[in-house]
Amino acid sequence: MNRKRLVLLLMMLIAATFTTGCWDKTELNEMAIVSAVGLDRNKEGRLVGTFQIINPGNVAGALQGGGGSNPPISIYRATGDNVLELDSIASTKISRDMYFAHANLVVIGEELAKEEGLTNIFDAFERSPEFRATTRVVIARGVKAKDIVETLTAIDKVSAEKVIRTIETTEKTQGKSISINLQEVIKNLLSTGKEPIISGFTVRGNKGKEDKMENTMSSDIEANPNAAGIGVFKDGKLIDWLDGDKAIGSMWVLDRIENVHLYLDWEGEKNAVTYSVIRQKTNIGAKMVNGKPKISIKVRAEGDIREANVPLNLTDMHVLIDIERKLAKDLKKEMEDAIVRAQKNKSDIFGFGELMHESHPREWKKLEKNWDDDTFPKLEVDVQVETFIRRTGLRNKPYLSNLKKDEQ
Amino acid sequence: MASFFKQKRQVKQREKKKEDESQSQSKTPDYIESSLSANLEIVKKKTGKSPDIIIRTLKIGINPEIKTTILYVQGLIDNPSVTDFIIESIMKNPHLSKNILPLEAMEIISEDVVSLGGVERVTDWEKLFLTLLSGDTIIFIDGVNVALVASTRGGEKRSIQEPSTHLTVRGSREGFTESNGTNIAMLRRIINTPDLWIESMKIGTVTKTDVSIMYINGIVKEGIVEEVKKRLNRINIDSILESGYIEQLIEDQVMTPFPTLNHTERPDMVAGNLLEGRVAIFVNGTPFVLIAPALFVQFFQSVEDYYNRFDIASATRFLRIIVFVISIVGPAVYVAATTFHQEMIPTKLLVIVAAQRETVPLPAVVEALLMEMTFEILREASLRMPKAVGSTMSIVGALVIGQAAVQAGIVSPAMVIIVSITAIASFATPSYAIAISARIVRFGFIICAGMLGFYGMILAFIILIVHLCSLRSLGVPYMTPLAPLNPKGLGDTFFRRPIWAFKERPQFLTNENNLIREGDNQRPLPPESRGMKTSDGKKGEGNES
Amino acid sequence: MEKANISGYQLFVLIFLFEMGSALLVPLAGEAKQAAWLVILIAMVGGFLLFFIYYGLFQYYPDQLLTEFVRSILGNFLGRIVAFLYILYFIYLAARVLRDFGDTLLTFAYPHIPLFVANAAFILVVVYTVRKGVEVLTRTGELFFVLENLLLMTFFLLIVASGMIHLNNLKPVIEMSGTEMVKMAFTKTIFFPFGEIISFLMIFPYLNEPKRLKKIGISSIAAAGIFLAIIMAMNIAVLGVDLTTRSQYPLLSLIQSIEVAGFLERLDVYFLFLLMIGGFIKISVFTYVAVTGTANVFNVKQPSRLAYPVGFVILLSSIIIASNFTEHMHEGLGAVPIYFHLPFQVIIPLLLLIIAFFKNRKKKKGQHQNKFQGGVDQK
Repeated sequence: MNRKRLVLLLMMLIAATFTTGCWDKTELNEMAIVSAVGLDRNKEGRLVGTFQIINPGNVAGALQGGGGSNPPISIYRATGDNVLELDSIASTKISRDMYFAHANLVVIGEELAKEEGLTNIFDAFERSPEFRATTRVVIARGVKAKDIVETLTAIDKVSAEKVIRTIETTEKTQGKSISINLQEVIKNLLSTGKEPIISGFTVRGNKGKEDKMENTMSSDIEANPNAAGIGVFKDGKLIDWLDGDKAIGSMWVLDRIENVHLYLDWEGEKNAVTYSVIRQKTNIGAKMVNGKPKISIKVRAEGDIREANVPLNLTDMHVLIDIERKLAKDLKKEMEDAIVRAQKNKSDIFGFGELMHESHPREWKKLEKNWDDDTFPKLEVDVQVETFIRRTGLRNKPYLSNLKKDEQ
Repeated sequence: MASFFKQKRQVKQREKKKEDESQSQSKTPDYIESSLSANLEIVKKKTGKSPDIIIRTLKIGINPEIKTTILYVQGLIDNPSVTDFIIESIMKNPHLSKNILPLEAMEIISEDVVSLGGVERVTDWEKLFLTLLSGDTIIFIDGVNVALVASTRGGEKRSIQEPSTHLTVRGSREGFTESNGTNIAMLRRIINTPDLWIESMKIGTVTKTDVSIMYINGIVKEGIVEEVKKRLNRINIDSILESGYIEQLIEDQVMTPFPTLNHTERPDMVAGNLLEGRVAIFVNGTPFVLIAPALFVQFFQSVEDYYNRFDIASATRFLRIIVFVISIVGPAVYVAATTFHQEMIPTKLLVIVAAQRETVPLPAVVEALLMEMTFEILREASLRMPKAVGSTMSIVGALVIGQAAVQAGIVSPAMVIIVSITAIASFATPSYAIAISARIVRFGFIICAGMLGFYGMILAFIILIVHLCSLRSLGVPYMTPLAPLNPKGLGDTFFRRPIWAFKERPQFLTNENNLIREGDNQRPLPPESRGMKTSDGKKGEGNES
Repeated sequence: MEKANISGYQLFVLIFLFEMGSALLVPLAGEAKQAAWLVILIAMVGGFLLFFIYYGLFQYYPDQLLTEFVRSILGNFLGRIVAFLYILYFIYLAARVLRDFGDTLLTFAYPHIPLFVANAAFILVVVYTVRKGVEVLTRTGELFFVLENLLLMTFFLLIVASGMIHLNNLKPVIEMSGTEMVKMAFTKTIFFPFGEIISFLMIFPYLNEPKRLKKIGISSIAAAGIFLAIIMAMNIAVLGVDLTTRSQYPLLSLIQSIEVAGFLERLDVYFLFLLMIGGFIKISVFTYVAVTGTANVFNVKQPSRLAYPVGFVILLSSIIIASNFTEHMHEGLGAVPIYFHLPFQVIIPLLLLIIAFFKNRKKKKGQHQNKFQGGVDQK
């Protein structure tokens, strides 16, 4: 009796599993792996999607040393009114199912970001279980999103990879970009006390050739995508670009700096001393002073001297203290400039509002409404910077100081 | 239907039995007769005049009146003892030269003449045949209705060799042989205690195979020996050819791919298990000794774990568990990940695998099943074929699968890698018995993964765990000490605690009154050192000054 | 009653896994925003109170299942009706969890599988387990306990390693008033998951050390409550309040945002594993309880024979209780707590306890006995 039951159970299990056979199963050679999605706006105001699809054979071939004459990616385009429509329209051109779980990059055209804003496009990305929450987002600056998605690159065969890596290294070594993912962008879009910032990316060089294999054939790549500043948003729309010092200053405030170099003018010589930050921490506090919110920022940075192109006696404690002070002053100015710029834009990219909400929830209820337009631009921000030089490299004095003596 | 047949068969058997009984009753009487010729007639009839049963008539001393016959089975006896201590002594013994009666001759032979360890008197045929066929020599004397049985068991046996399974780098090189006597003696040599008790029985209505139960009285848990005996006594079968027969006849649950009794060729392993309170079952004719009860974790233990230091042993144990898991789920994970859950594969890896699969015409499940089948065929073929062909086989296998199939684009290189890893993993499991079950279960997992991806796999996994938890070995839950949890017992599962910390025998196996196995403070202490290690503060200060 | 014996540790594990079950996955007390974890802890204290009611009942009838002592208290006829209602309640709960489970599975990984098939495959595994009896279920639970903890542990480590915890997200801790929190805890969170412990009244009698039950019950509820609170706090710390409350399955979002070493990404399978272990134990307990209850009320000799029919009923009801996931959740948060949880988890047990108290006091007086032994009348 018992055995009969067991057989029955087994049969039911087998039946259950066999009938489920075809659902949700996709063989690897039945899917088109999308590596990047570009979103633009055309003249009629409709959405133009550009999908970068990996040709596995060509990529893997190149990885193994062979291949390389065929492009590692293919591009498909579609025009429609929302993201899923783009997907289905593009599907008519591809023999396989588009698979988005490996789309690590979403590029948004500058025009789209400026005129329509981000608020209307992200729902599909967030709702679908296929999309990654960790997908990186960038803005195509000065070019169309499709230009970035289409470009063929040399070292990283898949250009989506290249874009992501470039942003990450730029953030790490220069602090001029910010690597931000979909989830963070959406979180910041929704928050009343914080506005999103997204890195910009552009293609420089000989345009029109970027989607040809020739582009990667030459050692000096003609059309090369590179990082270009940080885009500032307000109410979901792109309103400003931060470049150079402003971008770095903002990143300092955001506590996202890792290994940047600071350059110091010394005795008239421009950028004579290079200071490399090893470790840093930015603490931001929010206070209510006389019924008014006040933000205080404390930065503490430790690092080494890496380059000194002026005769400097680095063995002298006082010189080091001088350098430290000057560094702190420069840094403070950089940050203050960045804050002033943000206040001018009326866009609280630093999340000061969130901070107020966390520390003073009751007062925040009153402040929340007028934060962006009223309170934030007039916010009093106090910046304090401390820098420390820990080591000065393998030499104590620069050889320049001996050179100068010989001349005398 | 089945039961109907069964009944019929039983009826037939019963009839047959009756016939047998009537035959035997009509032809062979129960007891030996006094007439030698009549006895010999009976022996010949009973054994069908088999030529290997030697019947030799002798003259006692110089007295030709009393006819004597010795009987033995060629090959089963120890030749020198029969010729030297029986034939020669009977023929030349001076005590027998006098004129004596047959009965006296018997007395003299049994007491003075046969200079062998055991001489017994037998009166019934059944016992006589049993001893004759186990290699003893029978002496008939005309006119006496008693036969003498001299123990001359011997003959060609395999000598003690290194076991071919459960190999170790360190540890005893002895392996069991096919002879029960030798095997039991090997254990006696390891465990020198009178508490090592052995009980023997004959199982198999035709083969009458020697089966011995061995346990250490006082350590074994009460009831376990009785349970084993009860189950052994229940067996009613014509033959026991290997311990596998016994295993399949006494296990707790039949419908399971997992072994619920352990077997081994190593005396030291049996000794270790006996000392934990288990029972060993020796079956004559096989070097494989059964150990009961067996637990799941036991199949991942090797005797060498106890000979190596605990850190190394624990690391190996851990590795084995991982290896076992790989050998079960390896291909299934590949199938599930590449056909259902591509998102979890890192992009670069996915691209490489996708490139390999571009040309493969088969779905991943079919590919996996195909490759696994091929591997199993190769394995089975290489096990069963003559050794001389072995190398050809491996070349063909490696070339066909490794090279040609991949180059032809029929299977992807990734699949070959997965299958090979799984294959190696299944050989790295110390117990062959559990490695086989892993192989069967693996196919189930591949199918589940092919149907429902990780959902199917986890369902299969849950069933597997539930199934394992429902098993028992001689009443002990199979997953002990993991479930039910026995914190003390955990010290000998995935890791092995140091020998000096093995204070107690496993509670779930051993007699509760006899748990302590080592004294306190067994942790070796080095002599007082001069370094930082001095535990006594005062001495440390003294050293400094 | 089957012949079984479970140890204190096993019961602890089973209650813990049962509580964690599906509560781990949904935004438990999500409306409380940053204070969700606090609400969970308050509800946990409420869970203690409920447990004491059940414990009181158990003390009067330590050898009887829920379905048995109901008859001892209310008499055979009325008792049978109440017992039968309880069986229906357990079946309904099993169906609800199964539906939760199936919908989750379909939402995040297998959109094309029919719900029926997904649920059927799962209920088959459950039925297989239930047929093996409560001992096997608890032993399985022990292994899964280790597994679940390992999963959660690695998961904590990964979250910490990927540096996503922003404790600031948990501020301001108290934005809502205390009374609001208590109200929320005692109208919703207490019933799910803490009050569902009522089903264990069908398992307590198997405990081999009844004296330790109080300790075991309290500690397992506390452990589960604290774990749930930590998980919820972590959800908020990583995802922020907004995303947590908007997510159907915050834990899934949490797992999906893990990114360690550029290699460990999209660990959805983790979530699937947690989902299935929790769901499996919870549905199995409910199914087991329903099966033994039915066997007990209708005097069926072999309870295992009932496993298939009961499983089938659970499967069917899991499909028909709601037409879509939103409706299912709406019922779960609105009607079910008031019309099902409140009477079955609080009112009836409380009434039973009161009646049992008076009944036993009478008996005690009559027999001049010291303790509760008078109440234990074997059937």
